[in-house]
Amino acid sequence: MRPSLALAFMLLTLALLSSTAQAQSDGRLRGTGGVSSLSGAGGGGLIPWATLTGYATYPATSGSVFATHADVDDFTLDVTGSAVNIRDRAEVSVARQNFDIKANGARISQDVVGLKLRLAGDVLYEQLPQVVVGVEHQALRDPATARAVGARSTTGTDLYVSAARAWIAGVAGRTTLLNVNLRHSSANQYGLLGHGGDDMDGRWQLEAAVALFLTRSWVAGAEYRQKPDNLRALEEHDAWDLFVAWFPDKRISLTAAWVNLGDIAGAPDQTGVYLSLQGAF
Amino acid sequence: MSSRARSLALPLLLSVSLTACSSRAPDATLYEALGGEAAVATIVENFILEIAQDERVIDHFEVSNVQRFRVMMNQHLCMVADGPCTYEGDSMIDTHAGMGVTEADFNAIVEDMMAAMDKAGIPLGPQNRLLERLAGFRGEIIHR
Repeated sequence: MRPSLALAFMLLTLALLSSTAQAQSDGRLRGTGGVSSLSGAGGGGLIPWATLTGYATYPATSGSVFATHADVDDFTLDVTGSAVNIRDRAEVSVARQNFDIKANGARISQDVVGLKLRLAGDVLYEQLPQVVVGVEHQALRDPATARAVGARSTTGTDLYVSAARAWIAGVAGRTTLLNVNLRHSSANQYGLLGHGGDDMDGRWQLEAAVALFLTRSWVAGAEYRQKPDNLRALEEHDAWDLFVAWFPDKRISLTAAWVNLGDIAGAPDQTGVYLSLQGAF
Repeated sequence: MSSRARSLALPLLLSVSLTACSSRAPDATLYEALGGEAAVATIVENFILEIAQDERVIDHFEVSNVQRFRVMMNQHLCMVADGPCTYEGDSMIDTHAGMGVTEADFNAIVEDMMAAMDKAGIPLGPQNRLLERLAGFRGEIIHR
């Protein structure tokens, strides 16, 4: 894990250096870079979207840094990370997730590295939706809990295909985005409880998001993330959220959400708030 | 009335009332939703001022005849919005030939148009309807 994380950060640095030589790393319209998902990939919050982070158009490069805090009944999750959009064609992302158990103060820490490649389409301007393929590699820094609950592996790689299409004058004349992902994953709770188990579920998962630009700076929407349920002893549920995001300009965004994460590690009905701050450059 | 006749009568009634509704609202063109001739003229004036102050794209307009641009822009917006005008200018492909408009340039122009409409007091719904129609020309404008 260490070498790949270092490599990703090196890529980030290189891309950022090259971006300083490029003009117009903010060539796209406000909000079209989305926000930062839990994995660090441009999204969405609970799921990545087919959008690429920041506001670069070809051949410029843009990036984002973010901090996210989620607080549900029995747990908190803090995520920090960064992503680089290279020429509006590829996105590299890194994130550190710290998952804290309120009852005993224990922490599970995980690193996630992501790569997203834009294959076709344009989210705003083409009939064809913007389509990307992505990978997210999760590696636990604290693997003891995953082993204790019976996960087969403490690292794993998700693959996904994502498609997004926005209608400029959509619902009620407001710009409306629809995003659908198909993910191949054996992760337990986003990888925080490892991968696989004694009761392997299907590996293909469906994820979706809708978003409505109420104004040019306020966006409201919802997300759904289907999740595998691989551990006989610990039931895992699908997750969903309702969010509001504020884009006062192209430099900063603030997202607030109500999340329903279902049962986590035997603790039932984990609901709560989610806050995320992103800086784009 | 038999139940069969009643089941036919309801859709018939609905379709009549829908027709009445649509014929009572002939002012549903985007042109009128934007505010007609005066509003479009204001949008164009604001748009010219926005472009003039926009260092990202002003170079593309340096050789433009502003008066001709004003007239053609008014005609074009009017036509695109289903107003009572005929656009007498060149095609979007010809107008932008050799300009090398990039994706970023195009988006900058979209932002200038948004600002122009904001300053003209156009509500967001009609703004987006116009932008959606203008966005349809993107393929004829960029990379020419």
